[in-house]
Amino acid sequence: MADKERVSSSESLRSTRTFGKVRCHNPSCMGRLTPSPGSKQITCPTCGMTYRLFWVTPELPRIRGPVWDVNRKLVQETLEKKLGTSDSDSK
Amino acid sequence: MALDRKIAYINLTTGDVEIKPIPLEMRKKFIGGRGMDAYLLYNHAPKGCDPIGPENPMIVSGGLLTATCASATARTHVMAKSPLTGLLGSCNMGGFFAPEMAWAGFHHLVITGKADKPVYLWIHNGEIEIRDAGHLWGKNSTDVQWAIRDELDDEEVKSMVIGQAGENLVTYACVMTGIKNAGGRTGLGCVMGSKNLKAVAVRGTMDIKIAHPVDALEHNKKFIDQITGAKVNQIQGALGTPFIWGATNCWGGVRTRNFQYNQMEYADEIEPEAIDDYATETMGPHHMTGCFGCQVHCRAQYKIQSGLYKGKYDEGPEYTSLGAFGAEPDCKSIETVLTGNHLVNQYGVDNLEIGSMIAWAMELYELGILTSKETEGLDLRFGNDEALLQMVHNICTRTGWLGNVLADGGIPAAEKIGKNAFDYLIQVKGMNNLHSDERATPGLALNIATASRGSDHLRSRPAIDLYHLPEPVLRKIYSSPVPYDGPLSSEHTEYIGKPWQVFWQENVYMAVDCLGICKYHTVFLGATLPNFEDWPEVIYYNTGLEFTPKEIWDAAERCNNLERLFNLREGLTRNDPQKGDTLNHRYFDEPCRRGAPDVIGKRIDRDKFNVMIDEFYEHHGWDNDGVPTSETLTRLGLENEPTRLL
Repeated sequence: MADKERVSSSESLRSTRTFGKVRCHNPSCMGRLTPSPGSKQITCPTCGMTYRLFWVTPELPRIRGPVWDVNRKLVQETLEKKLGTSDSDSK
Repeated sequence: MALDRKIAYINLTTGDVEIKPIPLEMRKKFIGGRGMDAYLLYNHAPKGCDPIGPENPMIVSGGLLTATCASATARTHVMAKSPLTGLLGSCNMGGFFAPEMAWAGFHHLVITGKADKPVYLWIHNGEIEIRDAGHLWGKNSTDVQWAIRDELDDEEVKSMVIGQAGENLVTYACVMTGIKNAGGRTGLGCVMGSKNLKAVAVRGTMDIKIAHPVDALEHNKKFIDQITGAKVNQIQGALGTPFIWGATNCWGGVRTRNFQYNQMEYADEIEPEAIDDYATETMGPHHMTGCFGCQVHCRAQYKIQSGLYKGKYDEGPEYTSLGAFGAEPDCKSIETVLTGNHLVNQYGVDNLEIGSMIAWAMELYELGILTSKETEGLDLRFGNDEALLQMVHNICTRTGWLGNVLADGGIPAAEKIGKNAFDYLIQVKGMNNLHSDERATPGLALNIATASRGSDHLRSRPAIDLYHLPEPVLRKIYSSPVPYDGPLSSEHTEYIGKPWQVFWQENVYMAVDCLGICKYHTVFLGATLPNFEDWPEVIYYNTGLEFTPKEIWDAAERCNNLERLFNLREGLTRNDPQKGDTLNHRYFDEPCRRGAPDVIGKRIDRDKFNVMIDEFYEHHGWDNDGVPTSETLTRLGLENEPTRLL
């Protein structure tokens, strides 16, 4: 029935998997970041967003969450430009 | 073999049971699971029937591949007319129930009528009994399962049950199996309760003959490698579905304080890594468990470490509970999240719906639309953990005016509360949204607006849209098995190409729901996971049934159209704010105020949204009102439905 040598689209995409990297979570940036092994946080050199890291395995980092104070400052600046307000509305 | 599993029709009013085979031509058209259920519902539910009336059929199923050698075929699907929405009711859960039902001889149950007293069904090796459940009524979801095992003297019995929320006809009550597997959405636990049906217990030892066992096992090795090799599944195997929180709460995709904000700031305590630290005895990479035949093991286990429920064991929490008991009510306590998760599992109620309902009530309270008179003194402000958990109790037990009103669901509750309460209800087709905020992601907004069971992330969400995948990669995924040369965009804040992605995802999710496979094993959260091209071999080696990728696509499209026909018959119209393919006005009118810098200010453009809806309908072969054209129905072989062949 099946051609056992055939490679499906999804299988062919396996080669695109990258380990040891995370993506910046800023939607207009999404740059690939390569943290030092075991490091606790990383800053995106492009947009400045800074993240806390968790290592699932020594080869598999993930972004745990933002470094709030750093990223809120970036947001504050953007808000002032876009909405013309200095109130970030944060409680 | 898998193809010899039967369908049973059980009338709880008369006690009659009829068992029929499932013809192969029906398999080719509707495959099994959710797709076949859609056929059965459209054919057996009278137009306009009362969702909690005896004529509403409740259909329970496994998929075509359930209990075979294929990986992760644990899913149980349940369908009926929804008491929450008045439209399609459909839910899907993991665990071990559907495989056991298949070993007991059945792939589908069609349960109609209403028992005159509480009963449960006992299904074993081709036999079906209706048994008294008077002594089980009132038990929570976990206790009733153990009571049934004790009664039947067999620890291998698997049961699908309701807790007290289903007994009390909370319109968003779940069906449950195991500790935390929940058929959560659209209130089908309420339908069970309305039939006085406390549980369906199954046990089977009837072999399922695999068509080509050596090839099936060999192929499955490759399949498992593809699935477990994906980063997303490796992370899930360590942290469970809450891992998603790390991304979504970073960029501003988490609905907070009902819909006031799109990010929960400084919520480090409820991050999955923090849960792992908190519940040290039972959670973490070495304490995860899984459903039948799954290698991902995304289910965490925990014990509550403090508070009223200290020492209680439970499973999860899923990502959804972080929103329900964290972001939406703005409560940042891990104890609250784990306790809320425990309560909904015990009562058997949809965590998404109840969390959203309480957060909505909190916003109404802060706006003065609800007052302490309606809350009977409960301080229902955001961030009040005690009030949040108290409302879970009140809703599930229908205690107090507000608990009783909220138990009826969002739209009826808005009518009873009055004023402009409905304006703040974040629902589509009467069902509340997940705690996700789609204002910055038009593709995801289109998904929730058009999902067949109401606002929902598991029916057509192009979640990989968030990964900024290169356009050639997107094209490789979205151009098979049906060629597509239209636009695609890597930008998830764009509108271009999204209708096709949502259409494609709608079919891929229907296909896995027909096969009985978990969505974490297809293109949901991982772009490199199996889809249409990968399934023909799995089906053939396990069942002997031959499908091409295009035939699977066609079957999925056919089944999606059946769900559409059902919804249209029950009153769906395009722009109806209560039953239509549209969104709460806040998506269009209120800009995002938190999240990544480029998310700030985002909202859905109403005109572009309407263009997306037009394109989405066009891809389906639906007219401008969202109704399948006669050409489309003929192309899909649905022109004579309902045909009542099963």
